Amino acid sequence: MTDTTAGPGKSSLSTLDPRTRKRNAAEKRFRAYGIAAIAVSLLFLAILLGTIIRNGLPAFQQSFITLPVLLDEAKLDKNGNRDPADLAKVTTFGYGPLIDKALQAHVVSLGIDSRFTKPKEFNALLSSSAAAEIRDYVLANPDSIGTTVEFNLLAASRVDGYLKGRVSRDSVARDKSIDAEHLDLVDALRDDGTIRKGFNWDFITGADASESRPEQAGMGVAMLGSFFMMLVVLALSLPIGVAASIYLEEFAAKNWLNDLIEVNISNLAAVPSIVFGILGLAVFIQFAHLPQSAPLVGGLVLTLMTLPTIIIATRASLKAVPPSIRDAALGVGASKMQTVFHHVLPLAMPGILTGTIIGLAQALGETAPLLLIGMVGYIASNYPTSIAEGFLNPNSAMPAQIYEWAKRADPAYYERAWGGIIVLLLFLMAMNIIAILLRRKFERRW
Amino acid sequence: MPATWLLTLLLVLSTAGFGLGRSRALASAGGNHRDLHSLPKYYGLNVLMKTLGPALLLLVAWVLIQPMVAQNRAQSLIPDSIYADSGALNLMMSDVRRIADGLDIAVGQGRLAGDAARGLGSASTDIRALLGEVGVALGSDVDPAVLAAAQRYRAVTSTGRLWMSIAVLAVACIGFAQAFLSTKKDLRARNLVERGMLWILFGAASIAVLTTLGIVLSLIFNTVEFFRLYPAWDFFTGLTWSPSFGGGSELGILPLLWGTLYISVIALAVAVPIGLFAAIYLSEYAGPKVRGVAKPLLEVLAGIPTIVYGLFALLTVGPLLVEIFGDGGLLGVGWMKGGTAVMTAGLVMGVMLIPFVSSLSDDIINAVPQSLRDGSYGLGATRSETVRQVVLPAALPGIVGAILLAASRAIGETMIVVLGAGAAARLSMNPFEAMTTVTAKIVSQLTGDADFASPEALVAFALGMSLFVITLGLNVFALYIVRKYREQYE
Amino acid sequence: MKDMLIEERAAMEDVKISARDVNVWYGDNHAIKDVSVEIADKTVTAFIGPSGCGKSTFLRCINRMNDTIDVARVEGTITLDGQDIYDPKVDPVQLRAMVGMVFQKPNPFPKSIYDNIAYGPRIHGLAKNKAELDDIVENSLRRGAIWNEVKDRLNEPGTGLSGGQQQRLCIARAIATEPEVLLMDEPCSALDPIATAQVEELIDELRASYSVIIVTHSMQQAARVSQRTAFFHLGSLVEYGQTDSIFTNPDDPRTESYITGRIG
Repeated sequence: MTDTTAGPGKSSLSTLDPRTRKRNAAEKRFRAYGIAAIAVSLLFLAILLGTIIRNGLPAFQQSFITLPVLLDEAKLDKNGNRDPADLAKVTTFGYGPLIDKALQAHVVSLGIDSRFTKPKEFNALLSSSAAAEIRDYVLANPDSIGTTVEFNLLAASRVDGYLKGRVSRDSVARDKSIDAEHLDLVDALRDDGTIRKGFNWDFITGADASESRPEQAGMGVAMLGSFFMMLVVLALSLPIGVAASIYLEEFAAKNWLNDLIEVNISNLAAVPSIVFGILGLAVFIQFAHLPQSAPLVGGLVLTLMTLPTIIIATRASLKAVPPSIRDAALGVGASKMQTVFHHVLPLAMPGILTGTIIGLAQALGETAPLLLIGMVGYIASNYPTSIAEGFLNPNSAMPAQIYEWAKRADPAYYERAWGGIIVLLLFLMAMNIIAILLRRKFERRW
Repeated sequence: MPATWLLTLLLVLSTAGFGLGRSRALASAGGNHRDLHSLPKYYGLNVLMKTLGPALLLLVAWVLIQPMVAQNRAQSLIPDSIYADSGALNLMMSDVRRIADGLDIAVGQGRLAGDAARGLGSASTDIRALLGEVGVALGSDVDPAVLAAAQRYRAVTSTGRLWMSIAVLAVACIGFAQAFLSTKKDLRARNLVERGMLWILFGAASIAVLTTLGIVLSLIFNTVEFFRLYPAWDFFTGLTWSPSFGGGSELGILPLLWGTLYISVIALAVAVPIGLFAAIYLSEYAGPKVRGVAKPLLEVLAGIPTIVYGLFALLTVGPLLVEIFGDGGLLGVGWMKGGTAVMTAGLVMGVMLIPFVSSLSDDIINAVPQSLRDGSYGLGATRSETVRQVVLPAALPGIVGAILLAASRAIGETMIVVLGAGAAARLSMNPFEAMTTVTAKIVSQLTGDADFASPEALVAFALGMSLFVITLGLNVFALYIVRKYREQYE
Repeated sequence: MKDMLIEERAAMEDVKISARDVNVWYGDNHAIKDVSVEIADKTVTAFIGPSGCGKSTFLRCINRMNDTIDVARVEGTITLDGQDIYDPKVDPVQLRAMVGMVFQKPNPFPKSIYDNIAYGPRIHGLAKNKAELDDIVENSLRRGAIWNEVKDRLNEPGTGLSGGQQQRLCIARAIATEPEVLLMDEPCSALDPIATAQVEELIDELRASYSVIIVTHSMQQAARVSQRTAFFHLGSLVEYGQTDSIFTNPDDPRTESYITGRIG
């Protein structure tokens, strides 16, 4: 601007002078930075979602081996009287050889060449859960002993990985549990249709499994844990949050005590979640002796964490109810309490529910505080049998289960972790969509 | 009396109170409810409230206080000579509670008669075996003093429970009688009930204060305990972090703070430019269509749980960075040894913070009055000149506040660093090395079967305290700046 | 005209509301200064004056609506039938049932027309059963001169009515709690001329049973509907008397300049 001789006034308006051209170029660059920033962010989002879907979808498929197994009476029921007590005495070790033999016989009957001669060598193809599955079947159907029954057995995790492309012949070379010849066998059995992939319901509904059996692990129990936790959060944070907001928005006079509460709430919203975990550990577990890893404790901690979110949302929607409604109710002689509960609260309800759902979604995805109250490291392998157990028995939660899987050494568990994320994100998406629909449906313009 | 019975009784009493209060009020008005001061239901609610309210408060207070009293009384029976330090005493007291609970279970299952359980001395029976049968496992054989303490604990608890039932019922009855007898047609029942409701609302609001109080107290108590075992000076100035549960740990916070700050700086270096430019573009350039699509998509990034980012760092970004910067990688520099590193965690955390920075900055830029922009355009400035020389300087305090809030987020973030940053505490400049943070160490010191009385576990509370103070300070400061800024344009 | 005046004088003996030395502060702002006035029963009294003169503030003192504003402070005494309404023993909620209020902007509850009217009687326990409540609703709507327009759509939301209908609904709602005094805060300022005429007609009918106080910006309206008029200026009551004499022969020069359009 100091260069007066080249000022815009000297040139005609229809031709751009060099300085303006330069300024316009700078303008374009600046704009490009903005577009680039948005593009980069959206690219990150795309990569993130792409990675999740690519790595997680295989978890919803699982390899099964369809196999006719002869339930040998000589092995399973020596006395031959089908006494349940006697049947129960045969452990899974008794069933293992039956399956191995059946697999060998099946391979031979298909005319597949294999260098394996001993039944035990076929074991590597099957999940170690197969024996338990057959045993459960036999105990439930004692009459089937002595007959040949066709089972749909889980394939071993390595076989599953091979079919999904996670395990290659190179990686197998360093693997003690399975050989390249096994993979040849798998190829042959796949061509035959004995081994095939099916939808993995057990991943969604099943329980977690031990470190060595990733093919069996599911997140059903952890989902229940999350469900019970969310029940606690909903049952506590909605009424408390709404009551607190009504007090602060409608009744609190200006004084130091209420100011203190206000400042507290706005600061609590920014306290790192891990600190809430410390609070939960110190107060609920060390001081109050509530059971560790219980969804009740998790729910309490998450309630305290979610409260500020709900209070902030609720106050905003209470504030949005026009004062003329309050005047109208007060004018016909309603008390302040009646005004709030008969008129203001019902009108603010959609906004409150939207805020609550968003707060619940946040709580559902939160992991850090759960680590401290012992929800990680616990193998969620048992379904709770009653509602009280659901609240009080140790359990995991969806994000804690994902973390647990991510920490395990076997890469097969990574697939489960990504799959778990897909399930978690589906829940979060559903909750957010409900919140958006609620907002759309009840949005009111005054 | 079991607690469920007590609660049922209270509920019955108060429900009866509701009905009786309501009908007494109607009777006092001769059945004409227009003569009543309040609607009939308020008279009932008044009786219900006065029956239930004080009794429940007493019940809660009693349940909270009784274990402390019992514990104190029991602890006085344990001689100083049989425990080495406060940690050992804590373990012993947890044994006391376990034995007491175990005996109760044994009596409940009918394995022991009540009298026999009370008369139990360690000489006569093998307590450990007995309790093992009912599913209460003890670590060692029972010391006579511990058993005596457990018996005292049981005695205090059972008499306490009896008195609790009596006291709670008495309070409920007094409340009932008072409210019922005062019920007449001129009683301002609605006002009384509404005052009670106001107290409930106030109680709900003060839970926020109680939470803060709980956080501060649990941090302070354990931190003080920690500093009794480990010198505070060493904690704040130590350059080494090497906890070992066998003893002889060095617990200096500096390497952890360094890791925390390093990761946060990288995260902010990613998030601030991208987030700021995104916000500028969205608020100054983008048409409603682009805004309508890009803004919600950015918010999706904010809605993704941190565990997802953590997994992304561990399984995707880490290996990718190793392929570029690791041994035999694309660049052939060999800077990076493993997938977990400051850079991994920092980059991913930066992505997580982008929507945080952009939405805060968006609000702040939108708060700059249009008149300032019009003034600039009127002088012939281009949009970018207006943004850089008018809008941004005006919004600067607010943006600084937003960045501070983002920094506080980064410092308190846990899952990404637990999964992505590594576990080794190091004071190094190389961003491709694994380092660890305050939050990651809180997790690692408090998970597992650590003994809560050891300095190695207690240090987590001191770390938590430091974290709380730092983030709180940043927040208060940032909110102050943002508020000052807002006031300027209101 | 003559005998109407005599009627009014007779009514004037019957003082409904009496205010003595009323002062109101909003924080540090002294909004009402030493106002003393006596309001007659079965009369329409108009409060006029320029914006911010305190006429609405004073109106809100009469049913203690100012209690709902934290910073408002009221001093002095106001009595209703000889009873001090600021006595600590008086429940403002009961007072407001006796002193109904109609606001500047029609503010029906976002509920059905029926529920709008029934709300007051319900919370005050005025009806024993549904049939009684139905009667109250019908009577109130009739007296609000809106029954014929809404009798077939009682279950439709009150917010769906036109502005004038909404305001008459609000008046009916105020009547439903059987008040003795009706306060109206610029009830026609949001209405078109036709709706205004309907509401004014209604106010004139209501005079038979209630003491009506109306705050208005329009001097024509004050002249049309009221028997007595009070002129407020800068928080003080400047002049109070028969509407006719205020408009034709004001005592105070400030009143004269307002009426002739020199202030306000």
